[in-house]
Amino acid sequence: MNTATPVIELKGITKTFGGVVRALNDVSIAIYPNEVVGVVGENGAGKTTLMKIMAGVFPPDGGEWYYAGQKMSFPKHPREAAQRGVAIVYQEKGVIPALRVYQYLFLGHEDRYAMSLARLKRDEMKTYAERLLREFHIACSVEDFMYNLPPSTQKMVEIARAILSLRLEHGGDDTASVVILDEPTAPLNIEERQELFNYIKKMKATTSFILVSHIMHEVLEFTDRVYVLRDGKLVSHYNLSEEKVTEEDLFKAIVGREFIPETRISETADVNREEVVLVAQNLTRKGSYYDISFELHRGECIGFFGPTGSGKSEIIKSIAGILDFHQGTLFIKGKEASSKEIPHTRLAKGVGYFCGETEKQLFFNWPVRKNISIVNMESILRKRFPIIDFRMEKQMAGKIVQKFKIRTPSIEAECQSLSGGNKQKISVGKWFERNPEILLLEDPTIGIDVGARRDIYEALLEMKERKIAIILVSDDPKEYSMLCDKIIFLKGGRVQKVLSSQEFKEVIAT
Amino acid sequence: MRNASDRSLPKGSIGAKIRKIDPTILMLIVLVIVFSAIFPDRFLTPLNFSSILGQFVTIIVFALGPSMVATIGSMDLSYVGIWMLGGILVWRLIPVVGAPAILVYPLLGLATGFLIGVIQVKVKMPSFILTLSLLVAYSGLTAILSGGYPRIVRGYDFLAARLIPYVPTTLFWSIPLIIVAIFLMKNTKLGAYLYAIGSNEEGARLAGINVEKYKILTFTISGLLTGFGSIVQFKHLGGSVPIALNLNNMTLPLVAIVFGGTLLSGGSGGPDRTVLGTLAFVTLYRGLFITLLPPEILQLVVGLLLVLAIVASSRGLKGVSIT
Repeated sequence: MNTATPVIELKGITKTFGGVVRALNDVSIAIYPNEVVGVVGENGAGKTTLMKIMAGVFPPDGGEWYYAGQKMSFPKHPREAAQRGVAIVYQEKGVIPALRVYQYLFLGHEDRYAMSLARLKRDEMKTYAERLLREFHIACSVEDFMYNLPPSTQKMVEIARAILSLRLEHGGDDTASVVILDEPTAPLNIEERQELFNYIKKMKATTSFILVSHIMHEVLEFTDRVYVLRDGKLVSHYNLSEEKVTEEDLFKAIVGREFIPETRISETADVNREEVVLVAQNLTRKGSYYDISFELHRGECIGFFGPTGSGKSEIIKSIAGILDFHQGTLFIKGKEASSKEIPHTRLAKGVGYFCGETEKQLFFNWPVRKNISIVNMESILRKRFPIIDFRMEKQMAGKIVQKFKIRTPSIEAECQSLSGGNKQKISVGKWFERNPEILLLEDPTIGIDVGARRDIYEALLEMKERKIAIILVSDDPKEYSMLCDKIIFLKGGRVQKVLSSQEFKEVIAT
Repeated sequence: MRNASDRSLPKGSIGAKIRKIDPTILMLIVLVIVFSAIFPDRFLTPLNFSSILGQFVTIIVFALGPSMVATIGSMDLSYVGIWMLGGILVWRLIPVVGAPAILVYPLLGLATGFLIGVIQVKVKMPSFILTLSLLVAYSGLTAILSGGYPRIVRGYDFLAARLIPYVPTTLFWSIPLIIVAIFLMKNTKLGAYLYAIGSNEEGARLAGINVEKYKILTFTISGLLTGFGSIVQFKHLGGSVPIALNLNNMTLPLVAIVFGGTLLSGGSGGPDRTVLGTLAFVTLYRGLFITLLPPEILQLVVGLLLVLAIVASSRGLKGVSIT
């Protein structure tokens, strides 16, 4: 493969922002025909800057651009990038839900079909669109509305649109081109992800892809080569067809330090079997889950594993008090809890709920300090008269910021100015301080980079050591094998099997 | 909060210093300077000063409660209703129970606030419509109970007995209310929870805050503050009990809240901002008043200013003064 001429080759790319921050430092990458190339790195490592240079959002300060072996200038806007064979599919907000598929495909290119008779133009567009959908193996009709399509199909249509824009720019179907996929799987569930990657594998026959992702196993499974960026420099390059790379290797290259070692994980596996903190008996929520029974011990972590729609997310929400249940009984610390209870009551009983969607957890227009103290109000009130002790509040926030290595200018900085990973750390940090007896985790590390993820896992393991009982629901199998002592497999809302952590590792390894 | 244009200014320049001043205070200073310069003989007089303080009291006693409600993203327009109905009840009860009849105001405020809170939480109807409907109902009830004439309640003169020349005594009665409202919002758990609810209701619920309970509590406290405020108001305006709705009584407290930079969508501002907003608005209003503009034009100006203030505050003052 490497004997061919690269479709796109970038040499010695350097980009500096504001004269101080060096976002990219002498980075060279090449994309060959018919391959999927992964680009990974922490937030701030320079991935986005590199992709934006390729997509023509802004030119670099220095470097060279070769298209099919020919030296060219850097694109100054997305249309010029398309002329040089590059299109980008952004992480979100690319789809316009109110349009029909063919309208969306040709969005921005309508003038090419502007005939005197409107009907003629539309028929021609539809025929071309139909041919495209067939060629790209997308199962939908050109008349479908975008909002009616499943998320994975929407993503596929977006990719088709990117390729189409390249073809229209070049006037032929056989142009070598590169499509950049920026975190394409972020809005998708496990099955949809699988579907999307199967599609990309097929599409490799005509197009090359760059996959930007935080999800290590996706990168290792579906790419041919991987570039690793750290602090604006290219630190590693793996050819996956030639060498065996593990997630741990990749993690080390990205972050520059070890991932949490196995021994650290097994240290926390010591569960007190005598003290039961939560019991569920035949919990049923019609339409979501049926006959769920389990016992949660102090310091134990139970994971509910299954595809989307298996009821795992509804179960954890019912325990948090966000949803109710119709039948069965729930005991928290030996006392029966009514299904009508709200999160406030459950928290008073020692059940905290944390989900990775920070917009549900944080108050973005607030300073970091206040976001941490809001769930810990009781502990910062003065003893004699219940007013807030601002000194204690500051100390608490400072402690959490330090412990979780939250990168913020100060504890007074507004939350919305921070990066996703740091927001997530604040979210976890406030529960760390609150120290509930039972912690419910739903997708705790969704959408954040591996470095931040590691810090959050460490905090969760420490909480487990403090004998906090945990229930986990996630899309990442790795998370289960790291945190859970027991994994309950769900299918269609019913328990399929219960595995120990060891058995689970064997299952996902195969 | 600082945007790009702030950063571009060199540190220590006059422009940068001015930008650091709170916009409402800046407006207040500018207004005082402008009006003093244009009308030195009419604006800078003890009489005008007295009028400003007087109108400050009129507005602030009704704006305090609703500005707490505004922080949770709701609206409370019931204040005029509590004041009118309470007044007529006091007038009816004085012959029966004597001086303690004045306590009808806070009791009515408390009950009204609680009622609004419960309905709002249980039926989930917009608080604006709910409180407006209640206001109309109260004014109807007032008209029935009054027998159709405005009434004068006598007694309680100590409330308004002049202590210091040119300073309305009622101002001193409004100060404890102001302090209580600000203290509740800034230094207690309640205040933190209200900002949380206004900023992100879902987030507040997940943080384990009993959102329903605190919403009811907010409306109840707002009603109670308005109830005590009505005592001040009623003597401040000479003991008269109106029986017809006056548009100004209703809108001016709202204008003051918005002038202070409190977003009506919730999550920011509060009573401290409203005190500043009221001062700035009253200064402006008096300034326009002494220009001898016809009242219709004044009304027009106030309405347009309200729109402007809402636009400005929704752009520039997000997140101001969250402790």
